[in-house]
Amino acid sequence: MLERLFGLERKRRRALDQCPQGPLRDYLAVAPPAPATELEAVEIVSLDLETTGLDPHRDHILSMGWVVVRGLRVRLGSAERHMLRIADPVPAEAAALHGITDDRAACGEALEVVLPRLLQVLAGRVLLAHYARLELRFLDAACRRCYGGPFLARSIDTLILAHRVLERRNHTIQTGDLRLFALSRRFGLPTYKAHDALYDALATAELFLALAADIAPRPPRPLKWFLAGGRA
Amino acid sequence: MEVELEEIRDFFARRPPFEALPAEWLDRLPEWVEIRYLRRGSPFPPEGGEPRLFVVRTGAVALFDRHGHLSEKLGEGDLYAGQCVDLAVERAGGGEAIEDVLLYEIPCQRIRWLRERSEAFGRHFTADLRERLKQALGLVQGSDEGALPYLWVALREVLHRPPVSVDTGASIQEAARRMTTERVSSVLVVHGGRLVGLVTDSDLRRRCVAEGVPVDRPVREIMTPEPHTIGPEATLMEALALMTRLRVHHLPVVEEDGRLLGMFSTSDVARMQSAHPAYLVSDIAKARDVAELAWICERLPRLQAQLVAASASARQVGEVISCITDALTVRLLALAEQALGPAPVEYVWVVGGSQSRREQSVHSDQDNALILADAYEASAHGAYFEALARRVSDGLQACGFPYCPGDAMATNPQWRQPLSVWRDYFRRWIETPEPKALMLSCIFFDLRPVHGTTALFEALQQDVLARSPGNSIFLAHMVANALTHRPPLGFFRHFVLIHDGEHDDTLDLKHRGTVPVVDMARIYALAHGLPVVGTVERLRAAAERGALSREMAENLEDAFEFIANLRLRHQAAQIRRGVPPDNYVRPAELSELERRHLKDAFAVIQTLQETLARRYQVHALT
Repeated sequence: MLERLFGLERKRRRALDQCPQGPLRDYLAVAPPAPATELEAVEIVSLDLETTGLDPHRDHILSMGWVVVRGLRVRLGSAERHMLRIADPVPAEAAALHGITDDRAACGEALEVVLPRLLQVLAGRVLLAHYARLELRFLDAACRRCYGGPFLARSIDTLILAHRVLERRNHTIQTGDLRLFALSRRFGLPTYKAHDALYDALATAELFLALAADIAPRPPRPLKWFLAGGRA
Repeated sequence: MEVELEEIRDFFARRPPFEALPAEWLDRLPEWVEIRYLRRGSPFPPEGGEPRLFVVRTGAVALFDRHGHLSEKLGEGDLYAGQCVDLAVERAGGGEAIEDVLLYEIPCQRIRWLRERSEAFGRHFTADLRERLKQALGLVQGSDEGALPYLWVALREVLHRPPVSVDTGASIQEAARRMTTERVSSVLVVHGGRLVGLVTDSDLRRRCVAEGVPVDRPVREIMTPEPHTIGPEATLMEALALMTRLRVHHLPVVEEDGRLLGMFSTSDVARMQSAHPAYLVSDIAKARDVAELAWICERLPRLQAQLVAASASARQVGEVISCITDALTVRLLALAEQALGPAPVEYVWVVGGSQSRREQSVHSDQDNALILADAYEASAHGAYFEALARRVSDGLQACGFPYCPGDAMATNPQWRQPLSVWRDYFRRWIETPEPKALMLSCIFFDLRPVHGTTALFEALQQDVLARSPGNSIFLAHMVANALTHRPPLGFFRHFVLIHDGEHDDTLDLKHRGTVPVVDMARIYALAHGLPVVGTVERLRAAAERGALSREMAENLEDAFEFIANLRLRHQAAQIRRGVPPDNYVRPAELSELERRHLKDAFAVIQTLQETLARRYQVHALT
């Protein structure tokens, strides 16, 4: 674990050396919080991406929603939602799921505009997502495409944490149990009707607060207890 | 950046006071929200940060008063404004998440911003005059009208009789006899005033009868030597815990210096669980002399403070204390009759003032009088009734109810007269009123019989209620009299200029607050021949008759209750500090909101005073 965490720091420095001037370099220049930092002092960005599929090299990001958690409080004032413009037609499945039509996708913002904004928000913070692998891989692909460098971040994954908590409670985990909606319901949290990147980011943030309180009700609770590892 | 969070917005939009906000502010609301998660058992409100308004999104929170007594439960959508509204702070003994809670927080600064911009929203925090008073009452009293938080009461308060003890040298039989005559299930064994042992009913059974120990043996042979004791400041809860641990039913209560105070037993728990004041009344009825009554009454100030702490309203406290004083008066009269023999002629002992109106608090002056049957002859019966009055009045004084400074007591020969003389008094007061005489006699317009031949009182009351309604000159004088006590609205103008607590001005909550209402209610009772005495009852009866608009009566009632509650809490705080209670409140004691409510209450009183002054053309008198 430690090696993996410090490994991230080494990778970040290396990437920084090789990265050209630009939003990614600015992002990489700010060190993420140290693994020993108390969770309360860590700033976290709960992020959700909606994509046309699961392959970061072929599929597109349709929308992004995020909200900042600071002092273990979700700051709704920091919430942002961005619809992205994509050239290809939106696959029917994704369109139905996200309620995003070709029209709407066509008049969204360009990835080149939204990505710098996201990187700016993420700098010095920890990324939080439900099944964070997806977000990390899509952002990595986007950064490599736009800025020629890797996306590196400390991340917390509510799916992994929830799995840990449910296992510890000796629950037999069944298909669908670890879905965000099911978990929100299980932990008595609000469930949002709208299927939308921002509401999912918000639900993820709330789920994280509940899981963190379950894993460690009070300090000390160093960040490293919650990290999913630094792999992009 | 404007981000639409419709589901959060809608959550607020469905609930008061947010539902009152215009759409544009509702849309902005989510961006001020912070979300926190409280695990079950976490303290509430959570610490740290600026003052905030809390809204429970999911889960539940319990709020407690200062005694750890549940005062409120907050569920989904419920709001806690304690940090944004000054007045609520008083009752906030803190709380606890009783389920896992997702909490929405909005800084008070934002709430204030909304209050300034949306009148309808602001009204929830400072509703119109009437609602504000109602709300203030709710906040001052707490929302729970439940039982006494008896588990947190100190044992000192629970002891209801002096300790029953025998000397170590006493025989077993002597101890058993003592227990029988005193009707107790245990006796303390002392040596030189110090506790050395304890004998209970079960000791007598197990160690004496069952073992065949002769009853003339010394009691020390069957006593439990050096029993566990407890200090008087321990709470009932602590005593119960100790008794459970030791598996005993009796705990001697001993002062730190070794002085024996009494015995606490499991039966005292039952006593506390039932209405405590009721037991007090029955203790009073059983007391054998003034000393015992005085001993019982020592607990009254604390009882009042406890009632206040348990969210009792001024009205409830007034009823309890008046009821106790009634019992005390009845017992003192019975003891006096025991000593002096039966009364030579019929009489009725009447009380006036706050006791009569059932608005009494501890340390109220005693106001009383004797109405004697017309068969009374001063030469033959005078000495008897003088002695009777003296005994009762001295007894009340010994029990903490001081002599009336105006000498309105049955010990004063003027107020110890046959019915015919009383009729003359009232006829004179009503038909040829003199301002000064009226001021002194106004307490006699609130008489209530407590003991004796009630018919004597009824005859007098009928007389008064028949005479007063048509007599506008008398009523005008009563109004003029009532107007000598004006609510101090100027006080606030003065106060707002001085923001620190530097000045020594105080506010007399009695003479400037409750007395004007009492006086006005009395005028309505006299003007309309209403037989009720309580201030609230009088206002209600007046509204019933259409003498007063229902709205005005309700406003006045709320104003009266609010001021009376403030006064009561002020006195409770003094009692807790060991200071003799008074009616003088320093502005610094009041919160911003209380000051505002008080001002509203005064405004209500002033309005009615002006109405009365106009109706009875008081200016014509002066």
